[in-house]
Order: sequence, then C-alpha cells, then structure tokens
Amino acid sequence: MNILVFTKRVPATQEEELRILGDGKEVDLSKLPFKVNDWDNYAVEEAVRIAEKTGGTVTAISIGDAESDEVLRRAIAMGVKDGFLIEVEKVLQDPYARAMLAYNFLKKENIPFDTILTGVQSEDDQFASVGGILAALLKVPYSSMVIGIDNVENDHLILRRELEGGLQERVKVMLPSVLSIQSGINEPRYVSIMGVRKASKVERKVFKAKDYEESMSSLIEVVKWVYPLKKGGATMLSGELEEICKQILGIIKEKGVYQ
Amino acid sequence: MSCALIVGEVRRGIFEERNLDTIGISSLLGKETCLLIPDNAYTISEKQVDTIIKVKTDEEAFLNPLNLVGIVEQAMNTYGKPDFVLFTHSSSGMESAAYLSGSFGLPLITDVSGYDKDTGAFYKSYYSDKIFGEFRCVGQAPYVLTVRSGSFKEFVAEKATSPKIEFIENVAVNTSRTFIEYVEEEKTEIDITKAEFLLSVGRGIGNKDEIPNYEELAGLLRAVLSGSRPVIDKMWLPKPRQVGTSGKTVKPKVYLAMGISGAFQHIAGMKDSDCIIAVNKDAGAPIFQYAHYGIVADMHKVRDKLKEMVKG
Ligand SMILES: Cc1cc2nc3c(=O)[nH]c(=O)nc-3n(C[C@H](O)[C@H](O)[C@H](O)COP(=O)(O)OP(=O)(O)OC[C@H]3O[C@@H](n4cnc5c(N)ncnc54)[C@H](O)[C@@H]3O)c2cc1C
Repeated sequence: MNILVFTKRVPATQEEELRILGDGKEVDLSKLPFKVNDWDNYAVEEAVRIAEKTGGTVTAISIGDAESDEVLRRAIAMGVKDGFLIEVEKVLQDPYARAMLAYNFLKKENIPFDTILTGVQSEDDQFASVGGILAALLKVPYSSMVIGIDNVENDHLILRRELEGGLQERVKVMLPSVLSIQSGINEPRYVSIMGVRKASKVERKVFKAKDYEESMSSLIEVVKWVYPLKKGGATMLSGELEEICKQILGIIKEKGVYQ
Repeated sequence: MSCALIVGEVRRGIFEERNLDTIGISSLLGKETCLLIPDNAYTISEKQVDTIIKVKTDEEAFLNPLNLVGIVEQAMNTYGKPDFVLFTHSSSGMESAAYLSGSFGLPLITDVSGYDKDTGAFYKSYYSDKIFGEFRCVGQAPYVLTVRSGSFKEFVAEKATSPKIEFIENVAVNTSRTFIEYVEEEKTEIDITKAEFLLSVGRGIGNKDEIPNYEELAGLLRAVLSGSRPVIDKMWLPKPRQVGTSGKTVKPKVYLAMGISGAFQHIAGMKDSDCIIAVNKDAGAPIFQYAHYGIVADMHKVRDKLKEMVKG
C-alpha cells in the first residue's frame, strides 16, 4: 500500500495574544512558536500503522516555507519513509489553490498512491477542505472525519466516520481514495528529539511551488483580518487567589449546586 | 435563478436543527431559498423556504458526497444555477462542500459565522476564534459556503406562502463509497447531560496524572468531571464525558471550565449552561466571551486553593 500523508507546520496560538498589523493586512506571527498541526499527527500515525500492518510505504508531503522541513523530519521519525516539501513563497489562503497545487504536483511528478491521508483541518485556518477538493480533482472517493479504520483490503477500506453527538457511520471506500483523519483515532507515538535529529539524515526532497502553478488561481481572497466582535463577555474576578476562590464558592452556592 | 440552494441535513429521519442557520443566512443574503432534501423526512415549518426540492433517495445516499455532487448538478440543470450552495459546517457538510468545490471549481468558504450586507464580506474564524478573516469570492458563482451552527438562525424569515414542491428522481448512485451502518456510542452509568454541576477540564490540565486531582475536587464540590476533546482523545476521560459538537450537549446550572480555550465545537456543547465560570491563564482565550465569570489564573493553583477551602 502506497500512502501519502499531508502534514503542515502551524503557529501555536492557544496561549498567545495575536496582533493584527497595519490596516488589517497581516497577523503578526513573528514571535509565535510553531508546531505540527495537531490533526496531522494522527494522520501520520495512522498512515504508519497501516503500512506496518499491510506493508508498503508512507511518504509525507508538506506545503509551506523552508521551515516546514521540521514537520517532515518529525514524520520520518514516526516511521514515514520519504518527505517532500512543496516550497511556497507566500501563504495560500484559498484551500482550492492549495489543493490544486497538490494535485498538479502529484500529476506532474507522477506520484503513485493507494490512499492519501490529511488531518481533518488545520489549526490555523480551519478550512477542513483541502482533502475533499483534492479528492474531487483526482476523481477518487473521499471520506472525512475518519475516526477508525476497521479493515484494510487491497481494493477497499472499511472505516468509521464521526458524525455529531457521539454518532458514527461505518462506510466502505474503494481505493484509491482520500481520507481526512479525526483526532482520537489513535495515540500518536512519542518521538524523541534524538529521533527527529536522526531523521534529518534521511533525504527530503524540496520542490518549488512555482513549477506546479499551472491553472492555479485563488477563488476567494481575504479582504482583511479583524478581531472577534466582543459578545457580552465575562465579569472578571480579580484579587488574591483566596479572594477569587471565595467568590467562586459564593457563585456556586448561590446557584444552589453546592452547600 | 437567483437563489440560494440549501443542502438540508437529515439524520435518521430528523431534519437537523442546524439547517436553520443555512436558511437564516440565505434570508440575510436576500435570496430566494431553495431547500434540497431527501424525500424520506420533512419536519420543517411550511413557510421557512420558497421551494423544496425533494430528492428520491435515502438520506445516507443523499449525504454521500459522491452522490450529492450529481444531485446538485441535476438541480442546477433543471432549476437553473444558484448564486450560493449552502451547507452546515458539520461532518457531512464539510465533506460534501469540499468535494463539490473541487468537482466544479467553485469558490468555497467554510465555517462562515458572519456576513456584512454592506460590503458582501463573509467572516470566517482563524486560530480557534482569536482572529477572523473577512473574505470575498472572486471566482465564478455559485459560491459554496459551510455555515457555523448557531450563527444565523435568528434570521430565518417566515414567507407569505407555502413552498413550491419539486422533485428530483433517478439519482445516480456511486458505488465507490457506500454506507454500511450507524454506530452508536456505548452507554455509561454517568450521564453528563443530567448533571447540575459540571467541572470540565481541557488541554490546559497538562498531563494524565492531574486527572485524579480534579476528580477529587469534583468529588468535594459534588460536581461531575467532564472534558474537552483533547482530554478525551488522549483517553484521560471516557468518551461519554466529552462536551461539544461531537460529544454531548450539556446545560447544567453551573459549568466550571478549567484550561479550555473555547473553540466553537466546545462552546456549541455548553453555551446554554445557566452559569459558566472559566479559568484560563490566557486573558485573550475566546471562552471568556461566553462565560459569565472569568478568572485569569493557573488552573492548578485555583484547584489547590478550592480544595483547601472546601476541606476547611
Ligand atoms: C469536527 C470537529 C469536532 C470537534 N468536536 C469537539 C467536541 O465535541 N468537543 C471539544 O471540546 N472539541 C471538539 N473539537 C476540537 C476543538 O476544535 C478544539 O481543538 C478543542 O475544543 C480544544 O480543546 P481545549 O480548549 O481543551 O484545548 P486548547 O485549545 O489547546 O486550549 C487549552 C487552553 O488551556 C489554557 N491553559 C494551559 N495551561 C493552563 C493552566 N495551567 N491554567 C489555566 N489555563 C491553562 C490555554 O491558555 C488554552 O486556552 C472538534 C474539532 C473538530 C474539527
């Protein structure tokens, strides 16, 4: 089984304050730490597990700047064989443009695959659509929110998709196919810094996006970035820790859930 | 036809409430609304849309993206090209919207949660709601949107007349992906939807070893311990304790959220709680927008202090 897995380097923003620069044209990411997109970790792990079980190889592909080599090395440390970086000069905001770039690359480089895995969404732009657009361009079936792969056969997969409210559906998907992998499908293996360093020795190939930009244009564009509209917002409790905790206990007593 | 084509979501015979958001945004866009649904279920109020196209197929085949692309194409060929094709930002909506965009080269914006009538811009969340992008479509219509649940339902407008009913028959069924069965979640003794007081922990908890400490606090406060998705994904708490769109929707009297950032998939599951108290060390965490009371602090310190005070 030849598996391709897309992995992306994203800013870690959970604990950071984000600033919009100028008149809304740019978000300042310069001081942020970067990491592997959480959902892609699960996709890489799942790809490696399938290959370990059924034989075959896994290749990781990243679309990003030169620093995205970091996420390829991590994928290799997890058991991926090769890493391909499609190096872009500027961020492609449109998922269609990104999927078209991936499509042109796979076609032009004639890269064979039985299945392509992506994470369900990127933590940064949350489009959740590159996999689906790519599947349609490749004219192969697509399944998103894959939370379990129950059976792998030569020509098909039996998998579970996550729906809402704890419900899942089991589907059969013929190969070749594209799947987007949901978090929680597995427990991604631990990779040590040593392992990542060792993976640096495995050759990664760098391709320039401009060689694959044929028939590529953005169908949507960002006019500007804005801060979220303030809703009501919370009453912030302040003071010493003891004072704050007293207030918390006061509130829960008042609500009648604690005596 | 200058209309918005709404792809209705029906699961196990029920017309999902989140469809109201796609109907709502189409009113806001000022378009005729045309609802596409499988023939088997129909519980929508008679006057919420202008036209209903009933598709002679079962819901599972309808929601399969490989079939849906053909169904939308058939609707366009028969009834004209819409300006928009609208999906809910759900598991199936995201899947089909992307496949449709790729199949016909249509502009796609997902997770739309705002629209500015004056500029025609759509708002889409980035970085878990810390920043929003104002987007516009530059490619050829129809524009494909997936719409965030809870964002537009207040814009649903009653029509003067009952909808026109049309039909699509002879749907081509693709066999390269087929539905097998629904899989239900296991039942457990503790039902977080029944709890009056939930103590919910998120990724901020840091590691598994901390769970017993929060269990102890929950015990002391007579609360039930629940969590956000990352905590459940790591199996630190069982799946039925997950709050959010793909977990449970809860409405306790008090929801005490510790170390949870406030991604909309989490918020959607707890925003109707009577009283939300959030503890987060990041003053800019989106959860503070939804909480009634907020505390910027290290959750572990708050936990220890609460324990100390309750124990006396
Ligand atoms: C299709 C789909 C379905 C989903 N369904 C759900 C769902 O049902 N439920 C759900 O919860 N999520 C769901 N998610 C995931 C969701 O998008 C977020 O990834 C998730 O809710 C984030 O959880 P979190 O807030 O615990 O973690 P994070 O976003 O990582 O936030 C952790 C927070 O902890 C704070 N923190 C860190 N350390 C401390 C400390 N010591 N003290 C205080 N605060 C601290 C940080 O400032 C941060 O705000 C879904 C996603 C998708 C794509």
